[in-house]
Amino acid sequence: MPELLKVKNLRVEFNLNNDIFTAVKDVSLEIAEKETVVLAGESGSGKSITALSLTKILPKNARIVSGEVFFRGQDLIKIDQRMLVKIRGKEIAYIFQEPTSYLNPVYTIGDQIMEAIMLHQEKSRFEARAETLNLLSQVKIADPERVILDYPHQLSGGMNQRAFIAMCLACSPKILIADEPTTSLDVTIESAVLELLKGLQQKFGFSLLFITHNLSIAKKIADKICIMYQGKVVEAGNAGDIFDRPKHPHTKELISAYQQIGKL
Amino acid sequence: MKNKTLAAGLLIIAILSMMAIFAPLISPTDPSLMDQNNLLAPPSYTHLLGTDSMGRDLASRMIYGARISLSIGVIAMGIATIIGLILGSAAGFYGGVIDTLIMRFTDIMLCFPTFFLILTVAATLESSIFNIMAIIGLTGWMGQARLIRGEILSLKEREFIQASRAIGCSDFRIIFRHLIPNAIGPVLVNATLGIAGAILLESGLSFLGLGVQPPTPSWGNILIESKSTLGVAWWITIFPGLAILITILGFNFISEGLKKRYA
Repeated sequence: MPELLKVKNLRVEFNLNNDIFTAVKDVSLEIAEKETVVLAGESGSGKSITALSLTKILPKNARIVSGEVFFRGQDLIKIDQRMLVKIRGKEIAYIFQEPTSYLNPVYTIGDQIMEAIMLHQEKSRFEARAETLNLLSQVKIADPERVILDYPHQLSGGMNQRAFIAMCLACSPKILIADEPTTSLDVTIESAVLELLKGLQQKFGFSLLFITHNLSIAKKIADKICIMYQGKVVEAGNAGDIFDRPKHPHTKELISAYQQIGKL
Repeated sequence: MKNKTLAAGLLIIAILSMMAIFAPLISPTDPSLMDQNNLLAPPSYTHLLGTDSMGRDLASRMIYGARISLSIGVIAMGIATIIGLILGSAAGFYGGVIDTLIMRFTDIMLCFPTFFLILTVAATLESSIFNIMAIIGLTGWMGQARLIRGEILSLKEREFIQASRAIGCSDFRIIFRHLIPNAIGPVLVNATLGIAGAILLESGLSFLGLGVQPPTPSWGNILIESKSTLGVAWWITIFPGLAILITILGFNFISEGLKKRYA
């Protein structure tokens, strides 16, 4: 399959009161079309920062020192800010961990999804509203007509995450980056959201970069897995190979960790 | 309504605004009509609040004065709030050099004794109502700018701002559509307080003869005209004073009520 996104030797530094901390150390990875790549590793291993670097939505004190992010023949690290704004959300979309705090509290769900639609597409409010209702039913929300008028605090975490996914799908992105999208949800909702993502991936045909620390999730959905440890990719390969023949000691640790939880 | 302070404030301001808007309908006489038989007449049935030294009906003059005083308060604070919003949100959002420049400029403006600055400007410019609104607005935005900067500083680190960046919002859009609506609560509270302050300022200016020029009535210049006749006609001093007091009380109630609601 042709590759869609190629990251080469990405290096990100944080400036912490004049102490330089390198959060991502020469990370390389590739995502092919319609593929699911899982970026796994413990907390603080640099997986989220790697993902945020791809469209440069890093915190202010972080800086991309070197590296290339190739997407459709352009290096996203080098291109103009204005071009990047057009890629964010339209070509590369993000889902985050705590859906409720990632939605703006002063707007209704409908307003926020409509904003995402109208940002990148020439559509009237009326068309955008119809599209929003359609998207909400795509993410299996039972009564979209009511939900578009609700504010985020009126909905549960699972509902908000579905709404957020609908917002991300608004412009049918080529790549969906999911940064621990199920960590704040309970287990039953977690598997429902995972299934939803898989189903949507088949329908919409996006590539999925899924970030998690939980290898049992990785096992369910991954085509390829990259294991990150202390800012480096220590092991990468097809999901089956990684689970059957882990090479790096940290990979073995992560696998045994979830196996032990399974035994409890 | 649970929020009694807010309700009381809104009621007071609503009544005053109605008076100002429908001034021609409710005022007993023309405010510049002179009743030569009743100079300095005390409050009576024909002249509810009495007359001034030229025989003009005080009630009518105060009703027309409400138009001037209220609109100066609201528009001056509107100008101040808009300037404060723009400068404060730019400083808070961009940080760094922009922040330093804007905030140091704000500090410099705060160091001026504003009233004397206004006096100087008002003395050099022609004192039309619009000039007075502009002067009060242009010297009153600093508090708003600081307040907004503070709100933006904490809001911009919130997750939904990162999300709005991730869906492809430009900086401009993030500031005006996502940050400011979330920061507007305390700004409104401060603005209502500021309206009261602006009305007081205008009254002060008019009292010193640099505000709204006679014969146009404003509460401040009715007060100044009363100065010379204070010994014989107490009503010309008391009623405009009371009107200013009640208006400011009303706006302070609204601000207090909004504070309970938003902060």
